[in-house]
Amino acid sequence: ILSIPELFLLYRFTNYMRDKLRKWREENYRNSEQIVDVGEELINEHASKLGDDIWIIYEQVMIAALDCSRDDLAWSCLQELKRQFPDSHRVKRLAGMRLEALERYEDANKLYDSILQDDPTNTAARKRKISILRAQGKSSEAIRELNEYLEQFVGDQEAWHELSELYINEHDYAKAAFCLEELMMTNPHNHLYCEQYAEVKYTQGGLENLELARKYFAQALKLNNRNMRALFGLYMSASHIAASPKVSAKVKKDNVKYAAWATSQISRAYQMAGRGKKENKCSVKAVEEMLESMQITMS
Amino acid sequence: MSMGEVELSCLAYAKMYLHASQFPRCSVNGLLLSSSAAGGAVCITDCVPLLHTHLSLAPITQLALTQVDVWCSQTQQRIVGYYQANACASDSSPTPCALKIAEKIFEQCNNAVLLMIDGEKMFPGCRVPPIVMYERKDARWALKDKHTIMLRQWEETCSIVNQLFSSGDQALLVDFDSHLDDITKDWTNQKLNAKIMELVSPANGNV
Repeated sequence: ILSIPELFLLYRFTNYMRDKLRKWREENYRNSEQIVDVGEELINEHASKLGDDIWIIYEQVMIAALDCSRDDLAWSCLQELKRQFPDSHRVKRLAGMRLEALERYEDANKLYDSILQDDPTNTAARKRKISILRAQGKSSEAIRELNEYLEQFVGDQEAWHELSELYINEHDYAKAAFCLEELMMTNPHNHLYCEQYAEVKYTQGGLENLELARKYFAQALKLNNRNMRALFGLYMSASHIAASPKVSAKVKKDNVKYAAWATSQISRAYQMAGRGKKENKCSVKAVEEMLESMQITMS
Repeated sequence: MSMGEVELSCLAYAKMYLHASQFPRCSVNGLLLSSSAAGGAVCITDCVPLLHTHLSLAPITQLALTQVDVWCSQTQQRIVGYYQANACASDSSPTPCALKIAEKIFEQCNNAVLLMIDGEKMFPGCRVPPIVMYERKDARWALKDKHTIMLRQWEETCSIVNQLFSSGDQALLVDFDSHLDDITKDWTNQKLNAKIMELVSPANGNV
């Protein structure tokens, strides 16, 4: 029997852990080891204090357990969920994910197909099938299925991003750019999409693409002035444009200015980062020298 | 050691392994460095973990190569190779991106190596090093004869990697991608290097 203060501490602990799990759920973190650590203890020791939250926690912990190859934990979470929600498609999908983790892809597909027979609009099952294709290395099929999916569910951001990643892996930069354009249109304040788009354009190469890259790196910086990739990207694209023999004197002059601005921002950022931290002096020095040497080659 | 032989130090191996383990769902890559003089055998004494996202996109790769180049000249090291671990563990063949970067390194270093980490062999207790090495032969990258690859003190190296995991020090590893997310993090991994060298027993000499 716990004393009053002990009970109080216990409740505080449980609530604290429960809030943490909720935060990780809402922000879609994939810190699976942590989730398993916290979740397993909550489930085993404090299940009675979790109320109805317990079911969503079982789901969260189960998925994290699959990530950590903890089939024992995943299995027990799944059993609890099956018992509570015997005919649920959502639980069936979890069973499918467990089969995927065990690389029993055919069995997983059968499960997802049965969900889709029952409910052809079940996007979760469709996306799991595409994930299986990806896990099996069947990129072109995954791409084809994802394109078909997006024709029906054109607003699915996650799917657009997944498709852009697949295209980037296949070096199909034009199509990756198209996906990122969709994402930028629907998420105009997302600096990461701007920056990724700029990287793709830079990779495609050529003067026109470099100028586009520079513009979108700049846009990413406007949205988030601490995006270091965008800052370096701006510096590199402006430098390359300025160094090109094909540009007018004015374009060259403008880009030299952009590059110089980027350089000063980078130097400042690294100086601030280097303050008081003995251990990253090496990386700071490397950047400083790199910026110096690139300036020399530009003039 | 003779021409054509490649030696892989404990430090380089441990960091590559940690890098691949830190991002199990991503393809990761990095550069292999040597602090020995050019000519003769290739001694890979260290490595720099680079990316875990968008390996095939140009800007960050170019940036990283340039920065590592500069750091190498500051520290008397040379870039002698490239490593990659594919997200799909069952496929350890070099991707076009891997070949491209290895090619670039070969332009500066004529006995450069391309190292692919074999994800399927990265389980605890595996007796064989999970690596596949390629070298430049007849204008293409050919599999290197396993007998020309030296991993001295293999048992000790495995034990050191295990110790890093049990002490939680594997989380110290910083790759270039993580550095860009937070530039106070050190991609040269001075702290982790020190921990690893502490674990390497001084009696074993050239590890």
